[in-house]
Amino acid sequence: MALSNRFAVVGHRLPRLDSPAKVTGLQTYGTDVVLPGMLYGKLFRSPVPHASIRRVDVRAALAISGVRAVITAADIPRAWYGPAVKDMTALAAGRVRYINEPIAAVAATSLEIAEQAVAAIEAEFDPLPAVFDPEAALAPGAPLIHPDWAEYTALPVLSRGGNVASHSRIHHGDVEAAFSACFRVYEHHFTTPSVHAGYTEPRAATARWEGDGSLTVWSNGQLPYEVQATLADILQLPVSRIRVLVPGIGGGFGGKLRISLEHHAALLARAAGRPVKIISTCEEEFTAAHPRQASIVTLRTGVARDGTLLAKQARVIMDCGAYAGSGPGTAAVALQIVAGPYRTPNLQLEGLAVYTNKVPSGSFRATAGPMGNFAVESQMDIIADDLGIDPLELRLRNVVRDGDTGPSGEPLSAVSVEECLRKAAQAIGWHERRPAPGRGKGIACGWWMTTGGSSGVYVKLNADGTATLGSGAVELGTGALTGACQVLAETLGLPLDAIRVSAVDTEAVPYDYGAQGSRTAFSVGNAARAAAATLRDRIAAFVADRFGVAPEQVTIADGYAIAGTDRMRIGEVARLVQLAGGGLIGHGTFIAPPPPHDSSRISNHPLPAWNTPSFHAHAAEVSVDSETGEVSVERYVVAQDVGFAINPAGIEGQIEGGVAQGLGQALSEELVFHEGRVLNANLTDYKMPTAMDVPRIDSILVERASEAGPFGAKGVGEPPCIEPLATVANAVAAASGVRITRAPITAEKVLRHISGQTSRCDSA
Amino acid sequence: MSKIPLPLQVNGDTHDVLIEPHWTLLHVLRGPLGLTGTKENCLEAECGVCTVLLDGKAVNSCVLLAVLCRGRDIRTIEGLGRPDQLHPLQQAFIEFGAAQCGYCTPGMLLAAKSYLDEHPNQVPEPDAVREAIAGTLCRCTGYQKIVDAIRVAAARMQESV
Repeated sequence: MALSNRFAVVGHRLPRLDSPAKVTGLQTYGTDVVLPGMLYGKLFRSPVPHASIRRVDVRAALAISGVRAVITAADIPRAWYGPAVKDMTALAAGRVRYINEPIAAVAATSLEIAEQAVAAIEAEFDPLPAVFDPEAALAPGAPLIHPDWAEYTALPVLSRGGNVASHSRIHHGDVEAAFSACFRVYEHHFTTPSVHAGYTEPRAATARWEGDGSLTVWSNGQLPYEVQATLADILQLPVSRIRVLVPGIGGGFGGKLRISLEHHAALLARAAGRPVKIISTCEEEFTAAHPRQASIVTLRTGVARDGTLLAKQARVIMDCGAYAGSGPGTAAVALQIVAGPYRTPNLQLEGLAVYTNKVPSGSFRATAGPMGNFAVESQMDIIADDLGIDPLELRLRNVVRDGDTGPSGEPLSAVSVEECLRKAAQAIGWHERRPAPGRGKGIACGWWMTTGGSSGVYVKLNADGTATLGSGAVELGTGALTGACQVLAETLGLPLDAIRVSAVDTEAVPYDYGAQGSRTAFSVGNAARAAAATLRDRIAAFVADRFGVAPEQVTIADGYAIAGTDRMRIGEVARLVQLAGGGLIGHGTFIAPPPPHDSSRISNHPLPAWNTPSFHAHAAEVSVDSETGEVSVERYVVAQDVGFAINPAGIEGQIEGGVAQGLGQALSEELVFHEGRVLNANLTDYKMPTAMDVPRIDSILVERASEAGPFGAKGVGEPPCIEPLATVANAVAAASGVRITRAPITAEKVLRHISGQTSRCDSA
Repeated sequence: MSKIPLPLQVNGDTHDVLIEPHWTLLHVLRGPLGLTGTKENCLEAECGVCTVLLDGKAVNSCVLLAVLCRGRDIRTIEGLGRPDQLHPLQQAFIEFGAAQCGYCTPGMLLAAKSYLDEHPNQVPEPDAVREAIAGTLCRCTGYQKIVDAIRVAAARMQESV
């Protein structure tokens, strides 16, 4: 689908660099790490959701043969950590705030002995009043989950208080005055549950203390430099004493952004004097990892008679669970999502990240995207139906276009939402929205950022004419590093298979903001391009000197430096410079400048305006079984603006996988809680889509080049997960007349609506 | 716990291993034998990343006791093909981008091989392929490129017979 094939490497469907290792079982992952003398770690976890810890007795555990260390909060530095609010300790200190919070940790010579030791630990608790519902947590007099919240260190931009870990706002115009002048004002409530990222490799960490008192950690996290900094907080060590390696990652999707078990492995290894490895069990993944926040969105929208949006008011509540985690950023980014890619002259949006006594949440692909988009795009269809306007037409009347401003007053360029909507609509056959009884089509559009954040790379030219990319960005499965290598290869005039990627090791590779936020190919690609430019200059200077020409007369192409009739292989240049001057190494950096915006519109928002936004539209055809309520997705189409398709096959893979995850969240996935306990902590009862559940997905790659991205690219990875929930909800409504506002859209809920029993579940 | 000797035939080699009676095949493969190409995740036969071939049939090695494998032919991803001698399924997975994070890939390839071996000389319909691999969860790809790769590999295997 790439429109641009004037390039040799970028824009081509090339196999990923890591695929031979992955299809032969040779790729090493975090779970595969084994060290001599290694012990196995296991955590003793809280059985209660909120309590003071009266007593922890580990004597019986320590007495078991093969147990080499047992630690509690009393044995470790009293250190607080957290990405936005430093509200966590490595082991519960005095109080537990969710079921399965770690209280003690054991290291033993086998996993079985470690499990026996955990079972031998005794603890007593004094229960505290617990709160599981974020709206109840906001009520006056609600039990405080962090009574010492004011003592915590937090990002200065955040506004906090009591059970509110952050409160962000975007405001513009006069919403109340606008509502009073509107033809109609609509108000709806939407909820989404907590869902797990579902990576197939569990979180794993292995730690070893070295002879010089430094620490080496093998992690399968997405952000090795954040793991390093967090370990420095927890262990109270300088970062240079902590070396983090990421051998390979079996999927992350945001769920492996935050530190997972690295700190527990490190603390145990220090206590035991031997390396320690910990792997999360399936139950621990569902009860004590970092799932997506549950959300409650209240959306009030005022329109003119012709459907023109005049004012929007939204209140977004993100249920963070017991610790803030990624919640503050998620609640803030939700505001851009609920604004949507629409012109709206009056906005009053607020997002709250709220503590409850449940598993702490993290990030999952496009953080707030599916939650906010579900609300906005469901309501657009409700408004369209009420006004008698086609849902596509209502969107086209309101979408932003080049030259418009976004919700933060930021100027928008390379805006393609109309093109995406028209292409998705055409591909799904929008003219026939209800092709048969029980069948219907839905459409939804949205936008998302290409997260900025800094990247540094080293590029080393090897004496055989290849180049090695050293980057702190990990390849978590998206293929983004292959994309960055395509950019590098193109810029150096080399084929892709002449590029190698070095191991991720914080002691050897430059800082990178990490594999998150649809930014890796974008930012690492730009940094690689910068490094390649310096290398080209050095090659030209060397060759010019050798052949007695000016550097400007040297061209570099197809693996050669060429000066008139003279030419030299790049590898030969590298070899000679190795001998004569220490070799050819280029350092490249990139940081996306903060997008200009109107700061008077913003309060307490950590990401006030989006870097290089992307635009997208999804369309689906579903059938609804009127006897069972079951929803089947028959066809699915995505039109996504990727700016420039660096690797169309890789991008299709991102779209297909992201849609599959989105369909899981739309139709079946939900962490079910009762009194703070996850009831479905296994892969039978937590239903992720299998090969039989995912339809064929058609990808349309729209290429509206960005100014800042390599070759015009925009962020790709997260957006496909944003629109499926709303798209399916709208298609189900078209097919059956049933409007579900509480995700997921299960057969049970649909059937209750069909049979008129809506009071107990899902209607607003 | 006292260990018992167990001869295990893996990828054509016979290994004499000492095991505890409750150890799973997955544990023996990844631990004593060091064959970490077989992946571990749920340990409850729900996700399928630990799939290996037992007498040619796909099984979840995480719930299979190693002692039950005495005298049987075990094939893991390490026995399917090397980078310089790829099996047609592996070749197709590379070409189609059917591996992203790659963690389900060994299990997925062996589930596909089991199915194709049971249904030789045909290119299965997409729905049949989807059913064949439904026991192995992939969270990255949405399965589409996996299904496409398996069908192309089936066609090539047919041609090469």
